Parts: sequence; structure tokens; C-alpha cells
Amino acid sequence: MNRLRLPAAGLSRGIGRITSTALGPYQTAVIRIGFSATWLLFLLRELPNRHELYGPQGPWSWELAQRLIADNQAFTVLTWTDSRLWFECVYGLAIVSSALLMLGWRTRTMSVLFLVGALSVLNRSVFVGDGGDNVIHLMAMYLVLTRCGQVWSLDARRAARTARARGGGFPEQEHETAELDFDRVGPVLWWLLGLALSLVTLLGQLSWGWSLIFWTIWAVHGLWWYLGRRAPGSELRALCDVATNLLHNAALFVIMAEACLIYATAGWYKIQGNRWQDGTAVYYPLHLDYFSPWPALSQWLSTHGTAIMLITYGTVIVQVAFPFTLFNRRVKNVLLAAMMVEHAVIAVLLGLPFFSLAMIAADAVFLPTTFLRRIGKRAARARSALTARTRGVPEQRGGTATGQDEAYGTGAPQPVPSEAEPPPSSPPEADVTPRP
Amino acid sequence: MDGYEQGRGAGPPGPRTGIAALSPPYQVAAALVLAVVVLVSCVHLAMVFLHVAPANTVSKQHGAAVDDWVYPEFEQNWKLFAPNPLQQNIAVEARAQFRTADGGVRHTEWHGLSAQDGAAIDGNLLPSHTQQNQLRRAWDYYTSTHDTKDRPNGMRGELSAEYLRRIAVLRIGREEAGEPADGLLRVQLRSVTTNVQPPSWSGEKLDPKPVIRLLPWWNVTSQDLEVRDR
Repeated sequence: MNRLRLPAAGLSRGIGRITSTALGPYQTAVIRIGFSATWLLFLLRELPNRHELYGPQGPWSWELAQRLIADNQAFTVLTWTDSRLWFECVYGLAIVSSALLMLGWRTRTMSVLFLVGALSVLNRSVFVGDGGDNVIHLMAMYLVLTRCGQVWSLDARRAARTARARGGGFPEQEHETAELDFDRVGPVLWWLLGLALSLVTLLGQLSWGWSLIFWTIWAVHGLWWYLGRRAPGSELRALCDVATNLLHNAALFVIMAEACLIYATAGWYKIQGNRWQDGTAVYYPLHLDYFSPWPALSQWLSTHGTAIMLITYGTVIVQVAFPFTLFNRRVKNVLLAAMMVEHAVIAVLLGLPFFSLAMIAADAVFLPTTFLRRIGKRAARARSALTARTRGVPEQRGGTATGQDEAYGTGAPQPVPSEAEPPPSSPPEADVTPRP
Repeated sequence: MDGYEQGRGAGPPGPRTGIAALSPPYQVAAALVLAVVVLVSCVHLAMVFLHVAPANTVSKQHGAAVDDWVYPEFEQNWKLFAPNPLQQNIAVEARAQFRTADGGVRHTEWHGLSAQDGAAIDGNLLPSHTQQNQLRRAWDYYTSTHDTKDRPNGMRGELSAEYLRRIAVLRIGREEAGEPADGLLRVQLRSVTTNVQPPSWSGEKLDPKPVIRLLPWWNVTSQDLEVRDR
């Protein structure tokens, strides 16, 4: 029925929506967790090999990296000095920031540190990367612009607790406002990072463009804090909220478009290849020494010509079709499931676990809200059951030992419970998929 | 307060939010932000699209602008196993020349570096980038920045040769652990490229004979000898 409205009314409704709400709180949370977990697991996997891959004395030495970076101007802090200690610190920072971003602790700050860590490591040695590294590299930049800690984060939990302690109803969308009276960590973190940024700027290590980006982010974080404390009801604060929502929604849209570009490119180029046309393409990677961890399985699979052809054609069909299926939620969900399964299979069969994990995380941005909330509730229930069993009694916290309290009061990221749901932004059944 | 009870976004009589809740001067500012954000997003997506699409009328005309926008941080390549998957196994091998204790020179056997990678990947749920990407991509990088007579195409070509040499020094050091490291004088690499035979049901047959590409001997520098994996 909405379609019968005048286009102008639709437009103004749309503008109202993208300026007043940060859409897709669950989708942005799930990709935040997905990408940071992928990067964290990768860094831990390569911990024993970190020197060989990214260290100053590895085959791609500090000196070689510096010559390339001087030419291509990519961002990395690892070329600032060839000190081994510096390298260890940066690798450590990359690990810690991805873990904290995954948990949603100081999400806004951690997303920036995650960006610094990921770009530093990836740009340091571009020639050891693959498609998975490329996805992480891009998404680390887009994530900085999203409000990806609205749900399933320590920030959201803290904001909700503070709001309840104050007797207020709705937890705020972002953590900054609700907790200002009690919060010390935020300002300390902000000052420390400002100090570090000043030092780096004075030493002249940052390019002009990156200085501008980091100082702007720093100033904006400060402004948020100040407005939240001194003028929470002011119009300037409301304007900032509008601007932040706009940035979030644009970044979310770009992330979705980027995922579509990945599939469209992969699919449309495949159509032009004669091996994808004659239905044997999947046979070949299974016989490449670098992509066949299970030779016996590969051999077995490649004795089934028809199956190979069906998988070959199916892959192309799914990749080419996916962007168009976004206009029909049911078809989209079927294809999404198919792609996630295919990536899980690729992870094992071709030995590409981190690439596959990154792609599954990217796919997850298209998951329906209802599904994500169901998963979140189930995880919360499993968690509280687990803690109840290990501790003997359900954890008591604050005054009210309601079920809702349990959902919050235990450690890891939790979904916002029913009282707070839906976040003002999204009608419960809404999907962030663009609709015709 | 009725609007409040209904919650935000519950219907037309609810409180105005977003841009509608602002007074006119702030609305102008918000509209400006909206315009900039929409414009930048669209330009960005257009640039990335032109970057990943095949060379076309528009990208040929505005190639420099696209490159300026996309490089270095938004570079991407999604031709995953496309247009065709690789249909050859490229095995990189290396051998070395050592100075012996009596002042002579000793040549080692060819060490199958890719074969070692392949063996390390077999049965491995989590292959490392050192096993799956390092040598494979270094060889790609070298061959794409050198002509068939091994002349580099400029700075990137020189970097690739140095990189490949250091990988060889590192790996030969592991293989020839008995030799004193500073006795390593020169290394040589070659690739042995074998076609993956098409599946039996296709009826196609490819030449099973491997093609060998031999690179020149390279002198090992003192800097190369400092290469470490720990």
C-alpha cells in the first residue's frame, strides 16, 4: 500500500528514517563480530609465523616494504621504524583491538584501533595476502563509520544498566550519553589517544590525509562526550545524531554494495571462462597443490563428473544472481544460506578458512533481523543456563533479579532484552534489505 | 505525552525525530550533511565499480581519476578462480652454492620449495600464509614484473627479485642447516610447470611434459643472510 503514496512523501519518509535511526543494528553488530573475530583468529593462527610474514627481518624485509610504501603511499605504522619491539607492540595492538571490538568494548574507539592494526599489518606485506585479507582491509575502513555497537556489545550492556540505574526506560542508542556521570575510562582513553596522536603528528610520521582523518575522528569523539555531558538535549547534539546516523546508514549501504560487487565480479568474470562454461572448472582447483589439503577427497569428488558440473554451474548462478535477489526477501535468504554453506565447504576443501570466514561475515550483513534476534536469544539462554550450572545459582545483580537482568548480567555480548527492543530504529520484523 | 507512550516511529502522531525535529538553521546543516554523504557514497561506489569492471568506455576516459580514488586503500580484485581457474601446478625449486671449509665450492640439489608447501598444506585445516601464499604469490609477483629474459620492469620488478631471493635464502637455510650460514654464496630458482590433466570424462588430453623456467644465479648479499623467520 505504501507504494501508492506520492514519491515525494516516500522520499521525505525515507529521509526521516535515515536521519533519525541507525538502521540494521543487528546486522552491523554481526559483521562487527564476524570481521573482528576473523582477523583475531588469523592473527592468533599466524602468531608463530608473524616475524616471517610481517617482521622487520622477514623475507619481505622492512627495507623492501618501505621502498614499496614510499611508492604506493599505503597506510602502515610498521614502516615507521625497523625496531623489533615496535613490531611486537603493533601486532599486539592488532590482537587486543580486534578482541575488544568483537566484544564491543568502547566500540567507537576500538573500531579505529582495529583499522590501524589491520591496515598496518596488511599493507606491510601485501604479497602474502589473499581475498580474505582484502575483505578485512576494506571492511575495517567501513566499520569505523558504522554504529556497530548498538546491540550485542559490552557498550550496549553498560548503557542499559546505567539507564536502568537511573530509572529511565529506554537505553540510549549509543553508550556515551547514558554513562557519562560514572565513566572515567572513556575520557582517559580519549586523552591517551590524543597524546599518542600528537606525538605521531609531531614526529611527522603521518601523511597529511591520515592526520586529518584521525584528528577529525578524535575531535568528533570529544565533541560527542562534551555535548552528551553539557548539552544532552541541545539541538547541536541532535544535529550530531543526525549526521552520525547518516554516516552509519551510508556506510552500511556501501558495505552491502561492496558485498554485491564481490559476487557480481566473481560471477560475471566466471561466465566468460570456458572451464566454467563446460562445467569442469571446480575440478581444477581440487588438483592444485596449493588448494588441495585433502587429496583423497579431491580425487573422489573429481570422479563424479555430473556433480562437478552441477557445482560449477550452481556457483556461477548463485554469484551472478545474488545482487538481484535482494529485491525478494525469500529468494535472497535461500541464496544466502546456499552461499554460506558453499563458503564453509570452501574453507575445508580448498584450505581457505580465513577467506571463507571473512566472506561468511560479509554475507551476514544480509541476514534477516528476526533470524539474528532468534540466534541472539538462544545464545543468551544457553549462556545463562551455563552460568547457572557452573555457579549453582543464577547470578544476582543490582536490585531486580528478573530474567531480563540475567540476560544482561553475565559477561559476554548479549542481545538487548525485550524491554529495550526493538531499538527505536528498526521495526522488529524489518529486514535491512532494500525493497522495491 | 501521548506521542511518548507510543514510542518512536510508532505512527504519524509520534514525536518528530531525525531531520524533522531540528529547527530551520540546523535543518539546513543536516541537509548539507545529507547531500555530502549521499554524494560521496555514490562517487565511491561508482569508482569501485569502474575499478573492478573490465576496461570500458568510461574507465578508459577517467582511468587516472579512478586510480587516484581507489589506490592504495580501496584496491580490490575479485576475479576468484575467474575467468578460468588456474590449470597448472607451478612448482618453484631452488638450489644453492656454498663455500666449503677447504675453500672450494659446493652445489646443492634442487629443493622443491612448493612441494614442501604442498606437503605442509595436506591434511591441514588452517594452512598458514607462509605455506599457501608466500612463495606462490612471490613467484606471481616476479613473473608479472619481469620479461622472459628476466629483465625487471622497474622498481617493483627489482623488489620482487630481492623478495624471491630472500625467500630462497630463508628456506635453503632451513634445508641445509649443517652448512655455516655465511658460506651461502649464490642461489638459483626455477619453476616446473605441469598441466593439470583435464578430467577423464572430458576426452581432452594435454601435454604431460613439464615446462621449466630457469632463473639466473643470484649473488646472496650480507643483508639477505640476515633474513629470519623468528
